[in-house]
Amino acid sequence: MTKQSENEIIRVEELSKSFGEHQVLRKIDFTVNKGDVICILGSSGSGKSTLLRCINQLETQTYGKIFFHGKELGKKQKETNEYRSKVGMVFQSFNLFNNKTVLKNCMEGTRKVLHLSKDEAHKRAISHLKSVGMAPFINAYPSQLSGGQKQRVAIARGLCMNPEVLLFDEPTSALDPEMVGDVLNVMKKLAGENLTMIIVTHEMDFARDVSNRVLFMDKGYIVEDAPPSEFFTNPQHPRAKEFLSRFFSN
Amino acid sequence: MTDTPNTTLEWIGFIAEKYSDLFIRGTWLTLLISVSGTLIGFVLGYIIGIIEDTKINKEDNIIKKAILGLLKVISKIYVEVFRDTPMIVQAMVIYFGIKLAGFAIEPIPAAILVTLLNTGAYMSETVRAGIKSIDIGQREGALALGMSPISTMFNIILPQAFKNIVPEMANTFLTNLKMTSVLNVIGVQELFLMAKTAGGTYYKYFESYLVIAIIYFVLCFVFNRIFLFAEKKMSQQKNYGLAVEYMENTQ
Ligand SMILES: Nc1ncnc2c1ncn2[C@@H]1O[C@H](COP(=O)(O)OP(=O)(O)OP(=O)(O)O)[C@@H](O)[C@H]1O
Ligand SMILES: [Mg+2]
Repeated sequence: MTKQSENEIIRVEELSKSFGEHQVLRKIDFTVNKGDVICILGSSGSGKSTLLRCINQLETQTYGKIFFHGKELGKKQKETNEYRSKVGMVFQSFNLFNNKTVLKNCMEGTRKVLHLSKDEAHKRAISHLKSVGMAPFINAYPSQLSGGQKQRVAIARGLCMNPEVLLFDEPTSALDPEMVGDVLNVMKKLAGENLTMIIVTHEMDFARDVSNRVLFMDKGYIVEDAPPSEFFTNPQHPRAKEFLSRFFSN
Repeated sequence: MTDTPNTTLEWIGFIAEKYSDLFIRGTWLTLLISVSGTLIGFVLGYIIGIIEDTKINKEDNIIKKAILGLLKVISKIYVEVFRDTPMIVQAMVIYFGIKLAGFAIEPIPAAILVTLLNTGAYMSETVRAGIKSIDIGQREGALALGMSPISTMFNIILPQAFKNIVPEMANTFLTNLKMTSVLNVIGVQELFLMAKTAGGTYYKYFESYLVIAIIYFVLCFVFNRIFLFAEKKMSQQKNYGLAVEYMENTQ
């Protein structure tokens, strides 16, 4: 067991996940420190989403351990709930609550999980909605918003919990090209505010400019773990080389 | 009897007037049984539907697993039995079964019991389908905030499932309203039995049953319109106004 540094938030050890016979994650090891902005890259099916979902406990690993501040995650529902309230997630398909307005979407977690007062929850919702530029839309329902707007609301919803880590699973992949920039700008801003983030993305420019670490996944393994300056200029693994050349050739 | 009616039309009017008390009482009873049976049946259907949708978690303790497992088995059997037997037979078996077991039961509570059990069995399937119709993403969105599975169910999934199954609930109620007519077999004085009584005196069955046919029709017609109106109201999404007080910070 490695010694835990003061800045460590999440540590993943030998994490493996199989769906039936199909092994999707193989002995994943990595550590997330405070302030890290980690981008996970890799081709389709390499296990990126599954890794994030395991970290958030939406999937249970078949083998291996996840530690939060040095403590292994508990298996009880209560413990899982509490952990999730500190490790938020933003999904490719937004997953907003369709029966609630933008404002109520952002107050649900703070009211029902953190048990903040109505005023407090309202204040937080407005402040985060302002920071993603969605405050004027508090009375709209998700179905009345564009994809980019929905995703910014989803980010605000996550931020309202004051999470220690926010996980993003391809937050811009379901968006029209002209909306992508808005969402990436919001995430850039968050990185500037030192929010710890793990981001699965296909936005290479974003990964290069904003992250401090890139994990490259292939067939369930993390085959490269390097700062973006190294990863993008001098990738080691043949699959990473191939992946990058495919991206930057067109 | 000086003013004995001659034509069928006159007979209908005569019967309707002469036995108006019976018909009115029958109508009330029909409404009482179908409304209360349906409402309680809905609650039962929701409970069963939620039980069936709840997954047994490997990490739960033994007692919780055992209770949930038992509930699942019971609800499965219950739903299956009530869906696979006619209501008229259920009425007889339940009514006489309770009596045989040595309990006193009046026809009206027995009728409500039969209706609610029948409704619960059908509604549970509807509720389950309604829950399934809400995309898994919203559930995961809630769980990822740290909401418990139960809180997620009640705050996010059920309100939306409810909206989706309102038409089916309305349908169930209308079916029940009509199905109460079979409950005359256990001697509940709902509309059907009243018509039988009224028709018997003068051997004017056609006329008498036509009167209650009209009553059933009017009831169903009116309720149907009300439900359609309510559904329309529910599905209307209000246009939102931009919150101008927060406009200056927009991107
Ligand atoms: N619930 C599941 N049941 C069975 N197989 C699954 C399940 N979820 C994912 N998989 C499989 O696991 C593999 C990895 O999937 P995952 O979604 O993690 O890939 P990904 O790297 O996120 O891909 P993409 O870039 O397309 O999103 C795929 O082969 C997928 O079919
Ligand atoms: Mg994915």
